[in-house]
Amino acid sequence: MKHVSTIASRELRSLFISPVAYVVLTLWSVIAGTFFLASLIGFQEQLIQLQQYQMLDRIQAMNLNDDLIEPFIGSMWVILLFLLPAITMGLISSEKANGTEELLLTSPISIWEIVFGKFLAGIGFVAVMTGIVAFFPAILFMYGEPEVGRTLSGLLALLLVSATYVSVGVFASSVTRNQLIAFVLTFVLLLIIGMMLPFLVEITMAGGGLGRESAVAETVRWMSTGSHVERMLKGLIDTADLVYFAVASGVFLLLSKTVIESARWR
Amino acid sequence: MTEAERGKVESSGAGTATGAPVIEVEGLCKRYGDFEAVRDLSFSVGAGEVVGFLGPNGAGKTTTMRMLTGFVPATDGIVRIAGADIFSQGMEARRAIGYLPESPPLYPEMSPAGYVDFVARLKDVPRGERKDAVDRALDRCGLRDVCHREIRQLSKGYRQRVGLAQAIVHEPKVLVLDEPTVGLDPIQIREIRALIGDLAASGGHTILLSTHILAEVEAICQRVILLQRGRKVLDQPLSEATAGGASLEEVFARVMTREEIGSAAAGGAAA
Repeated sequence: MKHVSTIASRELRSLFISPVAYVVLTLWSVIAGTFFLASLIGFQEQLIQLQQYQMLDRIQAMNLNDDLIEPFIGSMWVILLFLLPAITMGLISSEKANGTEELLLTSPISIWEIVFGKFLAGIGFVAVMTGIVAFFPAILFMYGEPEVGRTLSGLLALLLVSATYVSVGVFASSVTRNQLIAFVLTFVLLLIIGMMLPFLVEITMAGGGLGRESAVAETVRWMSTGSHVERMLKGLIDTADLVYFAVASGVFLLLSKTVIESARWR
Repeated sequence: MTEAERGKVESSGAGTATGAPVIEVEGLCKRYGDFEAVRDLSFSVGAGEVVGFLGPNGAGKTTTMRMLTGFVPATDGIVRIAGADIFSQGMEARRAIGYLPESPPLYPEMSPAGYVDFVARLKDVPRGERKDAVDRALDRCGLRDVCHREIRQLSKGYRQRVGLAQAIVHEPKVLVLDEPTVGLDPIQIREIRALIGDLAASGGHTILLSTHILAEVEAICQRVILLQRGRKVLDQPLSEATAGGASLEEVFARVMTREEIGSAAAGGAAA
């Protein structure tokens, strides 16, 4: 496994000299800034309104975590679905297109090392993205008193869900040599596991014989990242959710490894 | 080809091997569906030999090289590199190989120095020796002056040199070069050829080189293996093949026509 860092650091360096990385980071920062500002203004207006109506109990209940940080990180998670595929699309497909796959596969390294290296490089990138998001709640600590634990838990949720999405991106990138196909495939997969699974349950099972509360429905809901992220945003770090992220990443990395391996036999 | 001729080819092939063979190939086959890219190919190459791998396009040269380097698994047969089976002892075997594929496997955004260092890490060059190994490879391939430029800015000839530098950085016992001079201009061809000649002369490397430029083989190689339609049709030391003043081109043409007639006759008999 000593080549994992070799693969990862080369990939990260290449990522950070590519224009795509800077387009994504710029968009991400601008969107984060805009959302944060909007949430801040919304928070303030709500406060003023409640003061006008003298609703003291509602004012008491308002806090920076529930009404500002949580929705802010939650909306950045949605933006992630659109931007992350641009970063992961080239991870393995570009090796195929460049012919460098031939170098990697004839070197004394295992396919797992390639897959983990790419995954790690992607995590390095999303760590920078999470860092940018973290900058905004950090401002709040200068003027108010948000809860440190809940804020960190929300950021951790963003990092973990990003890492899981990177593993999806690695997989999509391993099935094709075309970056555009990898992009679209990643995006569709992320939409499905990120947002659509709960709706699919509602649509297909509500009227059917299985029912909303059946084991199948529960399992499909469990497979969606949404519920796991939301619980962590509320400050609830549950081992079950951590296990979910680990299992989901593991499954997609295993698929990537299998795809790369089987492609050689064709 | 008659059985007698086949026997002669094999015995003359084995006769040229000097010392213990570093490349051993036995009964190698590769099938893609119904198409047989390589059929029952056997040969062995001794330490320090420089062998030219010849044949028309589509004869199976690249496929064979990909099987030798472990990029593509063989359908059947055995490949041993420096005594290690490419399939069951893949890591050991791959460590002993330097490989330049048909299109050099380069990262255009990297510098030659950064790229060769990356390959040195992949090939398990020990940390303490890595810097020296990288510098040596860059020097030998004449890349000193451009080693901090981006590879994408380099000419095709220089890119080929970067490809060679990555193949030799870990001082492999076996060098597999797939058409190293294809697409280069005459001056670049001469430079790359001289470079390969240097590597051959320095000893230590066993070189298997594919090409369809016959002059290249005459300039560098001691032995030729000729493939046609995935089968070996000639395996002789260069001096024997061109004995009696025949040029390699004549030998090549003669063997190929004989094979064509042979396969046509076999086809007719089968029909």
